[in-house]
Amino acid sequence: MAQQNGKNTGTSTLLRRLFKAPDLERFLEGNSTEMEIPLFHNYITELCRTMGQVPERVIKMASIERTYGHQLFNGTRKPSRDKVIQLAFGFGLSVDEAQKLLKVAQKSLLYPKIKRDAVILYCLNNQKSIIETQSVLETLGLTLIGGEEKNG
Amino acid sequence: MDNAFIESFLSSFDDSCFPEDFLKAYEPMECLSYNQMGETLLVRDRKTGQYFAAKCYTDQSLVSRTTESELLKDLHHDGLPAFIGEYQKGGSLYVVREYAEGLPLDQFARENPLSVSQVISIIVQLCDILSYLHGHTPPIIHRDIKPQNIIIDNNGKIKLIDFGISRVFDKEAKADTVFFGTQEFSPPEQYGFSQTDCRSDIFSLGVVLCWLLTGETNKDIAAGRIQNRQLARIVRRCTAFAPKDRYADAGTVKKVLMRAHPQVQKRNCIISAATGAAVLAFCIAGGIWLHNYNSREIFTEDHIPAFITSEDLILESVLYLNEKYDTDLFSDGRDAANMGYVRQLLFKVFGYSEEYAYAMPPDDPPYPHENENNFFPWGLPEDESVVKEIMAYTAVKIFWPEVVADWSSLKDDNGYYPGVRVAMDFCRKHNILKGINRPDHLTFGDVAVILANADKEKEAMK
Repeated sequence: MAQQNGKNTGTSTLLRRLFKAPDLERFLEGNSTEMEIPLFHNYITELCRTMGQVPERVIKMASIERTYGHQLFNGTRKPSRDKVIQLAFGFGLSVDEAQKLLKVAQKSLLYPKIKRDAVILYCLNNQKSIIETQSVLETLGLTLIGGEEKNG
Repeated sequence: MDNAFIESFLSSFDDSCFPEDFLKAYEPMECLSYNQMGETLLVRDRKTGQYFAAKCYTDQSLVSRTTESELLKDLHHDGLPAFIGEYQKGGSLYVVREYAEGLPLDQFARENPLSVSQVISIIVQLCDILSYLHGHTPPIIHRDIKPQNIIIDNNGKIKLIDFGISRVFDKEAKADTVFFGTQEFSPPEQYGFSQTDCRSDIFSLGVVLCWLLTGETNKDIAAGRIQNRQLARIVRRCTAFAPKDRYADAGTVKKVLMRAHPQVQKRNCIISAATGAAVLAFCIAGGIWLHNYNSREIFTEDHIPAFITSEDLILESVLYLNEKYDTDLFSDGRDAANMGYVRQLLFKVFGYSEEYAYAMPPDDPPYPHENENNFFPWGLPEDESVVKEIMAYTAVKIFWPEVVADWSSLKDDNGYYPGVRVAMDFCRKHNILKGINRPDHLTFGDVAVILANADKEKEAMK
């Protein structure tokens, strides 16, 4: 997974520190910054930087309406779960990276027991585009990504 | 997309764990949460497109003897998710219920710093829900009250979800055999000290209140951080170790909470100061007995004279409106309000222009009455007291303008404007004057009660 910024600490380093720490409280105190969930728009902006991409292209690849997409990047709009999934395709993320993106957005992770989520996981894993994924969902009679808003 | 890819996917996917009739009716959309008892899924009705929550219990041996669906079937309250249906397959049970739109309270509170009045409003609603649950025969104990199980919508209305570990109070049982719940929010008896009863939910409610006020669930650590002394006392009493030391019921918690509201405390301070000064004067005059007379309980709770609106109803209405319209203009004052105050509400709270709220008819008849330039078709001076009929007209015109629009410009044989009669009929039919016994000289509190009744009725009609 791309690091949030150059100063970020990896999970394995955090685990090492945790095992060596004399007590949990001191560990939490010393590593609180690394454990906080970053703001979603900061996270995707940083993701663009580390992946050498520009928001414009990510938004296009995610099939998100341009103005809406930029609002996600500047933090004036909060994404729905489907929009986060679209962004995962826009960035070309792996399954783990997509799950991390959902976690940062505080949305439910993709759940393999659910057919629609399983299709999305399968497509991410096989580096399919958002359009190809929508096509699979349609063939299987499942709700398209971004197709429905909750209760109107 | 080539068929081989889809076939390859289908060969690796198996959803035979779900009951067929469940999958026929609903498309699972996401997993909202999961634990050792099962999963909660967001599902979409294939016919209507409406969303519901489906709780899937994979191991029914862990489910209370009275299951969530059995409990939900009997519950009909705005603050509780309605039961929709249940499905079974093998050892698994799927309970479909109404989906509560909004955010879990823990997330909401992290993202939106809450004022003391907002916290009180949330806990008061929770008290209402608990009073309903505990009022059942036998009482229903939720046993897992925590911010994650309270969903709050954009209007600040809450719903209590997750009845997975609820139980019906059994008088014969000595102690709970299985521990469920969330450690920080659970009372000692839920660990097996004794049987859980309604006071177990009161304990959890106290911890939620403590957490909302301080961000801390440990009442000992939080103790010094709650500035409002009455609220600190409420938290302490709700979370007492022994159930007998806690409030006996949620209704009592609601009452004391309302007294702890900053607006009420401010009012009480003024009353206390005024009473103190009066007492001092009497003492100087040697009239000690007057002090006793002055401080006696004039009316006990159960003896509200016919012309006085219930204090609880007023407080509830004031809290509701101030929260909803993000204002502090609604007041529980017992003084008579005037038309100037009503007009202020119109343009400061309900968004009418000042010109429209204040427009007066010309001095000479015939008056133009109702038109696009005025809210009140009559010349009602600022200092005129508020009569019930005018308040009924005001409420109807704010929330259902179409009801009075065609009627207000005419005067009927009785000297009344038909708009008022139509509004009064409408208010009687929809219980909007509920609790108002005074015909005229309505107080600030009465005004709040009428507008809150109307607002709630409008919400219910949606």
